[in-house]
Amino acid sequence: MAEYDLSKTIIPYLDRHLTFPLLAHLAEINIFSVEDVQAAQYELAKGTNMVDYSENLFKAMHPDEKAPQEFEDKRQKAVSTNERLEQEAQVVLNVIENPDVAQALRQDKNQNLQYLKDNYNLTLEHINALYNFGKFQYSYGNYSGAADYLYHFRVLSTDADLTISSHWGKLASDILTGKWDTALEELNALREAIDSRTPAPFAPTVSALNSNTPTVDPALSQLHSRTWLVHWSLFVYFNHPQGRSLLLETFLSPTYLNTIQTSCPWILRYLAAAAIISTPTPSSASGSTPVSSRVKNAVREVVKVIQMEGYQYSDPITQFLMQLHVEFDFEAAQKELGKAETVVADDFFLQEFKDDFLESARCLVSEAYCRIHQRIDIGDLSDRLNLPREEGEKWIVNLIRETRMGQDAKIDLEKNLIQISRPPQPIYQSVIEKTRGLAIRTQVLGAAVAKASAPPLTTEAQAAAVAVS
Amino acid sequence: MSRFFRQAGDSDSDTESSEDELMSSGDEALPSKAAAAPKPAMSRFLRTAGSDSSESSSDEEESESDSDSEDEESDDEGRAGIRIMSAQEKRLAETEATAKAMDNALKINDWVAISNEFDKLTRMVQRQHNVSEPIPPIYVKTLVSLESSLTTTLAKEKEAKKKMNATNAKALTAMKQKVRKAMKEYEQDISKYQADPEAFEQDYISATSREQQPAAVSGGRVSAVQATLDETDGGFQSVGRGGRALQLTPEGIFKNLQAVQEARGKKNTDRAEQIRILERLLEIAVTSYQRIRVLLALVSSRFDYNSSVANYMPTELWLSAQREVDQLIAIVAADSSYIIQEITEDYDELLERTPSQEKDGIVRIRGSIISFIDRLDDEFTRSLQNIDPHGTEYVERLKDEKVLYCTICRAQAFYEKTKQDEPLSRVVMRRLEHIYSKPDPVVQALDSAADLSEIKPSMSLATKGSTSNLIHSLCVYLYKAGNSLLRTRAMLSHIYHYALHNDFHTARDMLLMSHLQESIHSADVATQILYNRTVVQLGLCAFRSGLIKEAQTTLQDIFTTQRVKELLAQGVHQQRFQVLTPEQEKAERQRQLPFHMHINTELLEAAFLVSSMLVEIPLLASIDSEESKRKAISKPFRRLLDFADRQVFTGPPESTRDHIMQASKALQDGEWEKCRDLIQSIKIWSLMPEAAAVKEMLAKRIQEQGLRTYLFTYAPHYSTLSLSLLASTFSLPLRSVTSIVSKMIWSEELPASLDQSGGVIVFHRIEVSRQQQLAQIIAEKVNAMAEQNEKALDTKMGGAGGWGDRADGKQGEKRGEQAQERRGRGERTRGNTRGGARGRGARFAQGLGNQMPGHTSQRTG
Repeated sequence: MAEYDLSKTIIPYLDRHLTFPLLAHLAEINIFSVEDVQAAQYELAKGTNMVDYSENLFKAMHPDEKAPQEFEDKRQKAVSTNERLEQEAQVVLNVIENPDVAQALRQDKNQNLQYLKDNYNLTLEHINALYNFGKFQYSYGNYSGAADYLYHFRVLSTDADLTISSHWGKLASDILTGKWDTALEELNALREAIDSRTPAPFAPTVSALNSNTPTVDPALSQLHSRTWLVHWSLFVYFNHPQGRSLLLETFLSPTYLNTIQTSCPWILRYLAAAAIISTPTPSSASGSTPVSSRVKNAVREVVKVIQMEGYQYSDPITQFLMQLHVEFDFEAAQKELGKAETVVADDFFLQEFKDDFLESARCLVSEAYCRIHQRIDIGDLSDRLNLPREEGEKWIVNLIRETRMGQDAKIDLEKNLIQISRPPQPIYQSVIEKTRGLAIRTQVLGAAVAKASAPPLTTEAQAAAVAVS
Repeated sequence: MSRFFRQAGDSDSDTESSEDELMSSGDEALPSKAAAAPKPAMSRFLRTAGSDSSESSSDEEESESDSDSEDEESDDEGRAGIRIMSAQEKRLAETEATAKAMDNALKINDWVAISNEFDKLTRMVQRQHNVSEPIPPIYVKTLVSLESSLTTTLAKEKEAKKKMNATNAKALTAMKQKVRKAMKEYEQDISKYQADPEAFEQDYISATSREQQPAAVSGGRVSAVQATLDETDGGFQSVGRGGRALQLTPEGIFKNLQAVQEARGKKNTDRAEQIRILERLLEIAVTSYQRIRVLLALVSSRFDYNSSVANYMPTELWLSAQREVDQLIAIVAADSSYIIQEITEDYDELLERTPSQEKDGIVRIRGSIISFIDRLDDEFTRSLQNIDPHGTEYVERLKDEKVLYCTICRAQAFYEKTKQDEPLSRVVMRRLEHIYSKPDPVVQALDSAADLSEIKPSMSLATKGSTSNLIHSLCVYLYKAGNSLLRTRAMLSHIYHYALHNDFHTARDMLLMSHLQESIHSADVATQILYNRTVVQLGLCAFRSGLIKEAQTTLQDIFTTQRVKELLAQGVHQQRFQVLTPEQEKAERQRQLPFHMHINTELLEAAFLVSSMLVEIPLLASIDSEESKRKAISKPFRRLLDFADRQVFTGPPESTRDHIMQASKALQDGEWEKCRDLIQSIKIWSLMPEAAAVKEMLAKRIQEQGLRTYLFTYAPHYSTLSLSLLASTFSLPLRSVTSIVSKMIWSEELPASLDQSGGVIVFHRIEVSRQQQLAQIIAEKVNAMAEQNEKALDTKMGGAGGWGDRADGKQGEKRGEQAQERRGRGERTRGNTRGGARGRGARFAQGLGNQMPGHTSQRTG
């Protein structure tokens, strides 16, 4: 199943540290040779300050060789840097942790800075030390510490670039420490920062700020950071309990949908999977949390996108949706579902959701099947669902009992059939349906007209008032 | 030559003669060739033949102006065939003929004719005088006889003034003066002649024969050259007005150049003469500086040759201009110490300059190669516009594109070398325009020719591997170059190229991401045309790739305008109610694309109508009430179909349209095989690349849509329908039949469901009573009214949209779902309608953004 593995595509969009879990996962599932994965891990670790880890990896790769001297050197250097940076940061930290200061700090960052400078002689350089130390901690794997420092830095800093950078850093740290709630917060904050940051046509101010990439088109850099955000957010969305519906909300919003279509169509797999997973199933329907209309219609929308991008990207999961909802070829859908099962099981993000995925996918299939057919052979349907007969029958009975199909569907056990009778909608009902919103709409219209004619009056009144006074 | 012309000339004999000269030089090329052809071996004669070319042309002129000189003309031709007469003899014959004509005119007292003839005679004699031949006695004789008859006529006229008309009288007086002048000039000769006519003639003959003798013995080279030096020189020598010979020497180049430049643009400057002078100057130019200067002047005077805008440059001139531009580039490219700039410091035009004299060792010369290239290209296009595209001449002319392309490439290489960005991007654009719409083999041929030249541009087919890569690199250069017009054009060309290579998705994404559809109506006309071409090509591309729906929506806009030809600049639209002013018409004509770039409109129409058929016919079948039938997706198609419906008798199909209409009828009746045969027998498909594959695709689509139509049409008559029967009727696999039917059920187009165990479709049709139907219609209408009201308020309140947003929240769920989509689209449509007056092409141009399939239009670039 290596052909459907996305690690290679995704890794370029991830931070070095975020890649470790991915590689560890690859080592587990055995679709690539162990040596290759280890080599990759070692290469990766070499660039960080996690000296012990890389040394271990080296030993694992070359069991009979002695670890080269450079590890020792690196360790020395890292320790000394650590000390130096810690000292620098400690100055600031001492001040901040003072309860008086915490109280005196306000919303306005410039004012805070002035306050700190006046009372505690803290300048911007000192505050930047926080950033540097946080970054360094991150680089040797102390993620929770890094998150703390970066958080403090962000509260105080006024430098837009570094703030963004610290956002990214904190998000990565939170992801790596597994604090999904905070990571989600961080993600949303970062998303806002990115979205608000680029008023594309009025570039000069932005490009002036983007001192590191002055020549890059701001729209392009925004697209770039959105792409990264999309990839990083996968960690959060597939680990947070609410994640899937949030993922749908985010990725189906026009800006991010565009981002996915333009720069990373492979994310469609996760979009499709999330859409499938979040379809209500008999088992999940009980704990019904209110879901937004976007999530409800997610499958339909996702199908549209998949259809449109079919020339760019397809894998068993998207193909499954295509066959089911575009071609209505249930046999092909069944085949794709079989393939998709293994793909999901092997995917780093999706492996946890394999069962949910299967359940929901079956649900989708049976829903479509029942809507189109009048009489269904239970055995046939179980085949379509990739289930053995006995189990299939049970599953279907369950389905009929627990969902709204209950009223229409009857099981004929003698012939082993499901009979579905769907009485057509009466005409009068459709007429009512059509005219439903009209009264309100007209009312709104009337109000708007009234409002439109009002302003001249008020201005006149104001004028009169001014004249009187 | 009309009589009127002659009269005008008489009143101002000076301009007349100059105009004559001009025309004679215009005609010159042909007779001189004819003259040169028979005796190519003998250089001596060849030369003289060349030298008297102007005479033979004036011969022609004479035969034209003389009303009764048919025999002379034939005489002239005959002479061209057996040209063994020496130049002098010929001249003599001519002079005699003229004198005779004058005698004739004298007899009938036609002074206008006399005046003309006399002018000619004088000119001839003058020329002879220039080559230092003695004055022929016949001239003197004529002069004398003329004078006598003049005096008699004048005397006669005094008595009977009424007899003569005004023009004749005028000519007479003019003649009087001219004769008097001539008499004075040749006083000596005349007196000699009057004293002893015979002796004078004898004298002349001996003089000429003396000259002829060495000429005849052409083996005696030295003496021949010696004797004829003046003569031959005179042949080549440009004879300035008034018979002044120009002395061309390397030293005097700048002086001559300046003289030519001063004469440039003046009303009675002989342009051909100027070109000849410059050519001669080029031959004798020694230094690079001189050559550059002369070439600059020469090329621009070649472009000047045709003053009228409507006409195009003669091919020979164009070719030599092209060669000279090449030379120019070669000189400048080879020697980097010479730079041609549009703006330079002032320098003395008359001095020779060398790199060593200049401050930084670089000689800057005023001029502009890029404008030459532009002009060259424009002239090429213009000639193609004017030449009949169905003749061989057009093909011949088209072959010149290769050399032009080479020149452009050379210029590109030159500008790349000297790093001049602005002209470079213009040149790159020119190059792109030559290749973007051409299929691969043509581009290969063009580029391989360009590869042969000694200076090569960095981007070439050889280095880039494929045409697409070449075009990509050219376009990328232009995207980066920063000129927004060029960027737009490059973008469109790039998209066009992708569409041509059937890469629909890339082309579509590029078009949508460029957001051009929003701004194209403010672009210049040429760019709008390019945009239209691009969109049309995109539609064809979609059609070729089997994306019928996309093809239909893309092509629809241009067909609803019913001005396809005009919008693609492939023909002038005849307006019914409004007459174009000549200027407009001229502008329109200049915009037309040369024939070889045309997109075949018939093919285009076939593609559009067939895709409309495939979309529209099932739709038509699915609608059962009369009212909703009026909503047509494709109006042009519907109109044609209605027209075909009204036809009482339909014969076998002839035109493409007939084919498609009959096919549509067959499709409506469920006869998909007939429909397929009709569609496939359309001849125009042969023009489409991969015609066989396209036909196959169409057959498949017809099968599918036939099935859909059949189901829609005949569903009311069945309660169940076997799937396998359907499969065999439409020869489709059972699986795809099931798939199509399922799709229809799922999207609630067909009130039915499948019975899996029986393998049949079960229809659930509800009979709608009249009352119910009316209730439904009224509900729809009320809905439409509410929407209309909202829209009206929307436009009235302007773009603020404040109330609409609130309304969205309150309205039913269905609207909420669409809100996002609507907002995106609404913004743009609203903006467009407020756009106000737009150009003519723009109406088509602007519509597309909203109708393009898919919602990718909002992507961020």
